[in-house]
This record gives sequence, C-alpha cells and structure tokens, in this order.
Amino acid sequence: MHHAKPKHEFEPKIIAFVCTWCTYAGADLAGTSRMQYPANVRLVKFPCTGRIDPVFILKAFQQGADGVLVSGCHPGDCHYMAGNFHARRRFAAFRKLLEFIGVDLQRLQFSWVSAAEAGKWVEVVTELTERVRAMGPMREFKDLALEEQWSGSLTTPELQEAYEAI
Amino acid sequence: MRKQLSSEHLTALLQALIAAGTRVVGPRRVAGILLYEPLITPDELVLDELPRRSVKEAFFPVCEDLLAYEKQGQQLTLQDVDPASFPQTVLVGVRPCDAAAIPVLDAVFSWDYKDQFFLERRARTTIISLACTSADDACFCTAVGLAPDEPRGADLMLTPLEDGGYLAESHSEKGEALLEAHAGLFSEPGAVQPLPLAQPQTLSFDLKKIKAWLDEHFEDESWDGIATRCVGCGSCAFVCPACHCFDIVDEGSEKSGKRRKFWDACGFWKFTHHASGHNPRDFQPKRYRNRIMHKFKYYDDKFGQTLCTGCGRCVRLCPVGIDIAGVLEEIEKKANE
Amino acid sequence: MTTEIIYSAVGEAIRTEAERVLADGTVAAVVGYTMARRKGSAQPVVLTKPEEANQLIFSAACVNNLAVYLTKAKKELPREGRIGIVVKSCDLKALVGLLGESQLKRDSLYIIGVPCVGVLGSTLQPSVELNAETVADKCRECDDRMPQGADFVPTVALPASPALEKKYAVEIARLEAMTPAERWSYWQEQFSKCIKCYACRQVCPFCFCEQCLCDRNKPQMVEGTPRPAGNLAWHLVRAMHLAGRCAGCAECERVCPMDIPLNLLNRKMSRELKELFHSEAGFEVREKGPLAEYNEQDDQSFIK
Repeated sequence: MHHAKPKHEFEPKIIAFVCTWCTYAGADLAGTSRMQYPANVRLVKFPCTGRIDPVFILKAFQQGADGVLVSGCHPGDCHYMAGNFHARRRFAAFRKLLEFIGVDLQRLQFSWVSAAEAGKWVEVVTELTERVRAMGPMREFKDLALEEQWSGSLTTPELQEAYEAI
Repeated sequence: MRKQLSSEHLTALLQALIAAGTRVVGPRRVAGILLYEPLITPDELVLDELPRRSVKEAFFPVCEDLLAYEKQGQQLTLQDVDPASFPQTVLVGVRPCDAAAIPVLDAVFSWDYKDQFFLERRARTTIISLACTSADDACFCTAVGLAPDEPRGADLMLTPLEDGGYLAESHSEKGEALLEAHAGLFSEPGAVQPLPLAQPQTLSFDLKKIKAWLDEHFEDESWDGIATRCVGCGSCAFVCPACHCFDIVDEGSEKSGKRRKFWDACGFWKFTHHASGHNPRDFQPKRYRNRIMHKFKYYDDKFGQTLCTGCGRCVRLCPVGIDIAGVLEEIEKKANE
Repeated sequence: MTTEIIYSAVGEAIRTEAERVLADGTVAAVVGYTMARRKGSAQPVVLTKPEEANQLIFSAACVNNLAVYLTKAKKELPREGRIGIVVKSCDLKALVGLLGESQLKRDSLYIIGVPCVGVLGSTLQPSVELNAETVADKCRECDDRMPQGADFVPTVALPASPALEKKYAVEIARLEAMTPAERWSYWQEQFSKCIKCYACRQVCPFCFCEQCLCDRNKPQMVEGTPRPAGNLAWHLVRAMHLAGRCAGCAECERVCPMDIPLNLLNRKMSRELKELFHSEAGFEVREKGPLAEYNEQDDQSFIK
C-alpha cells in the first residue's frame, strides 16, 4: 500500500547530475526495488563525474533548478580510474567560488552513491529535497534570467512598465 | 531661444520632469563608475566627469529584445516588442562629443533600413547637452572638426557660467518645447560670462588628406606596425559614442526564448568569421584597419562625415595603449610625404 | 633613489641588451614597451631590427603583461626563431605557467627581466606619478620584485618595499564577512556593468583557447549577450578556468573598461586552492596545476 502523498506548498526542482556507472545504477536499483523517494529530482546521466563541467550546475540554476545534486562512484571505484578524483578537486574549488559570489551552498549537494546503494540514494535525495523545500525557491538565478540589460538598470516605473509590455 | 538657468532651477527642472513621469537619464555613479543611467532623484546627477560609456545606449542599448517566441505543442506564438511602449525620455548632462555622435547614428539607423527600435527611442528623447570645460590629453574633439561647445545633436545646450548656473540655448523644436513647457524656471539671460571652455591639446587633423591616403592604402605594410599590438577585444568599439555594429541572436530553448540585438565589434575575431570556417579578416591588423577605414573612409564615403567625435574614450581605455589620435597623426604624416 | 631614476636605468639596460641580442642573432624579435603619444604613456611593441632597440623604454606606465603576445591566441608575432621578451616578475609567473602548460619552450625565449618597484594601477591618466595611491593593487602585495630565472636582469639596487595595505586581502575579507545575499548583490551590481567586450579574456595569457567556450553556440553553455544572466556565467566560467593557473598579473582587472574587480575572484580562488591543495601558480614550471591532478587523500568532507 502506498502512503497518502503529503501535500506541500512548494515542490522544489532538483537536478541531479550522476555518473552512469554507479549513481545512475544505484538510483535504478532504488526504482526496481520499489523504494520511495521524492519525485522532485530529475536525473541527467553522464559517463563520469569527471565529465560534469561546473557550467552545467550554473545552467541548471539558471533554468530554474532550486537545488543541484552531483553524484558518482566512491573514490577508488571510478570506471575510468580517476574521473571522480578530478571531479572532487574541481567541485571543492567551484563550491568556494559559488560561496564567494553569494550562492547558498545548502542548495548544492555532492555525494558518492554506488550501484548497490539504493538506500543511500533515497536518503541523499530525500534530505536534499526537504532541505531545499524548507529554504524555498531559488530566486537569485531566475531573477537574473528575467532581468534585462535595457539601456541601464530597470529602475524607473516607466521602464518597468515598458518592459512588462514587451 | 536663449535663456538662463540657475543650478537650483536645473534641479527643479529635473525634479518636475521625473515627477511628471518622464524618464530622465544622466551621468550617475554605478558601482564606482559614471554611466548614463535613469535618475531617481536629480541629486544623483554628476556633471564634472565624462561618463565611462557614451550616451548611444539611450537609443541603442547594450542588449535589447526584438521578439519573444513560445511553442506549445504545434502552436508557435511570436510576440513583437511594441516600440510605442518606449518611454518619453530626457537626456541631461550629455557631453558635446556624445551628442554629436547621435546624428552620426541617425544616418545609419535611418538609411536603407529604418531601425524602428532606434528611431522610436530617438523620437521620444530630448537631449540636453552640457558644454565641456575640462579636457585631458586623450580628448581631440577639435581635431575632428567639433568643439567643446558643439551644439550638433543637442536639443538644448547648457553652457556653465562663471557665477554658477547655465546659459540655455535651444537648437531644435524639441529644445524650444522644453524651454516653453518649463518657462517659469528659465530667465532672460543677463550680462553673463561663460566658464572658459575645455582646450584639447590635439587641435586639428586634415581629415580630407587622411581620407585620401586611406582611399589608396587598403593594402599597406604600416597597418601591421600599427596594430600588431591589438589584442582583439571590443573595448574601443563599446565605449565609442559612434560605433554601432550589433549582432542578433536567438537565446532560449526550443520551447521558448527571445531574439536579442546586442553590441558587436569589428575587433573581434568572430566578427567576420564565416560559417564555412573562412575568415576574410584573419589577422588582427586587418581588423584594426577596418576600424580606421570605417571611421575615416567608408562612413565618409556613404554619409559625408566622420565616424569619430574625438571623445578619447578608446584612447584612455585601450588595454594595449592604441591611441587613435596617434594613429591619425601617423597617417597624416604619411599622407604628407 | 626615486622610481624615475631606477626605471631610466632599467630602460637604458634593456635597450642595450635588446640591441645586442637582435644584432648577434640571439633573437628574431623583442617584445617590449615603447612610448605612445600621450605624456607618460607606453604601449607594447615588437621589434625585429637592432637599430629599433632605442625605442624601448621602461616606466611605471609599462603595465601590460607582454606574455599574452607569445600565446597561440596571438598570431601576429614571428613564429620562427627565439623571441626576446621584457617581463616584470608578475609577468614572468605567467610565462612559467605557459611553459608548464607546454605552450612555450624555454629555449625559444630570451627573457629580459625588469627589477620592478611597481607600476600604475590605471593608465586612464598615464602621466600621474607612481606613489602609494596610484600604484597597482597587485604591486601592494608583491614580494618578489626581482624576476627569478631570467636570461638578463639589469643590475639595479632596489629600495626596500614600502609596507602598503594589501587591498585584495582586505577586500576579500570584507566580502567574506558579508551574508551570502549581500555578496550576491555586490557581485550582481559589479557584473551588471559588464558589456562583454572580452578585454579580460583577450589580455589574459592563460585564455589561449582557439575557440572560447563562451563564443560557442552549439551547445550554448553561456549566453553570449551582455545581460545579467550571461554576465554572471561568463565571469564564473572565467574564474573557474583560471583557478590554479592565474598567477595574479591582474591584467583582467586593469583593462576592464567598466572597472569590475575581476582579480578579486582570481585572488580568492588562488587562496582557496593554496589552502585546499597547497598549490600556488607561477613559482615553478610544472606539468599539472592543482585542478589537473589529484591526491587520493584530498578532502571530501563536503561530499556525502
């Protein structure tokens, strides 16, 4: 029997960038094992976490993600030997950059989830979803995407009106 | 029409315009630099410095939307921008070197194709310029046939006076209309003494001679010497009051997005890069040559004037110290040989 | 000794050396600085004949990092023979990085080092005197003013460095003390000025890609238009691509016509990478930077 789905005011959009060998397989296992986890997460599959460019994370936020998860094989288990070691360094650096420009790092989660860890996948996704839900929508990037460079800043009501008319 | 306007009354004029819902744009400090930006209150106006970017963006924004598209199922909806929604605007504190560039842009944007976006904004804008009282060694307006009190492009021109306040002279119907609409703020000019005007150090170029040399020297080895140092950024073109190249791009997804027009520059490698992979201007000196040719030959051929007002912004801001006045001096020297 | 006396001695020595190496065929060309039209101004120049060597100068307005002219992004320089290049110690760090990234070969360079007491922060008015107010922020934090490992360095005694406030350190600390929302609005205001002239990219010795990711539109990872969204993405991508490589010549910040404090991002990243991976750019020729290598013991406390 399914539990009645709890209703929420805000359903966050979570984008998960995962490697195909470990985390994708882990998420697949969670599915085939009929484990329940929030449907807020949308998976994007990559060959390896080493292929995940920080710009993908930016793009996800710009296109409306409220939270981003990056997940791959545990250290030592990479299908390509060292992809996740490189990713680990890159994301350690990228987090610092995002923090410095004012992004709340609570919206960004990194994890190692193996093909056998369906339970951990459920746990990671549930925790991130609930945390982001509590934080509310990610406004910053969406507002930026809407903002126009239209002869300087949109500071007057007339400009705003003209823009809205567009 | 010739009137006098005190500094207090200038503030009152701007206040009245803002209160009446007119968009007032003037030099205002934004994150450390001076830009022509909409003013919320008149006291944001800064008049003693040349803004970092020119006034062209009041008509030709850095980036603007041309249309929006949305696809739902098989249904595609296009939405045009309604230029009628562009606000009535008054530009204030425009430097003569910026104002003089506006007719230069007018000629291009109303030539074989009438650019609605530019022209509608232009029609809704009244330009109050301010005669210039300070120049540095990058300024050369007089050398390209203009002057620190050049009225070209201005609807109303303010000249700062020795005892404070301004002399206000209208140079168009829009200027007269502004004077008449706010007649209470202007007074009859007394025996006034204007502040001494700016004195640029570079006093004149023989633009005819320079053009004649350019006519003959598309291929010339001196271009290499002039522009080997150019690193190919768009800094000079973007701060230029008269450069007007733009690119158009669709941005968004297959579901929805916008078509946008934004500044482009002939210094970029990508500017002439063909889809085939061929690039006719494959070498930086060729791109820089185009900059000089366009400003002092092609534009002159087409519209009978020069595409440079001597504001000196490109001279001050070039990352590698390319000095267009120095380049012109060099060309003039060659032309005299 | 004043700055002028030091730099005029440096200039004299550079001219003599450039003339010598051009004349005896050691180098095919020398990249250096020469005077420009405005009082006190300087600009990069490429010389190929010994008799041209007298055009070379050195002054506080010789701000450019000439290393950019040696990268494959710049195709205007002679490609054959050894190239002589005039570098300050900050510029030399860029050369060291380029050698490490196999962009240059040491034996194809003839490095003329400049004993440096600092250059101007801005050349809007190139004739201003070099002093504690006008000196570039990077020079305030510089502690190697004698280029190490150059082929030629003029013998000039430099006075002790004055103790100046380290502006980047202070500014980074100020930003770090803010809330994320405050930092976000600070950077948005700065990035809103960006007009995508790409001067920061074009002068950077490390931006030598034949085609920049940000110039591509299939796929378009970064919006090319100068709008708030694309501006932010561009500056983050830039900072990320330079992380672990940028040695702090601060050319990006100097050339920004909109005065965006770009080097703050680079300095912040450099500090973080030093802390995380004990790695600093520009000191030794190394094959791999901190983000191109790894250690199995790297910190992963941020990963679940």
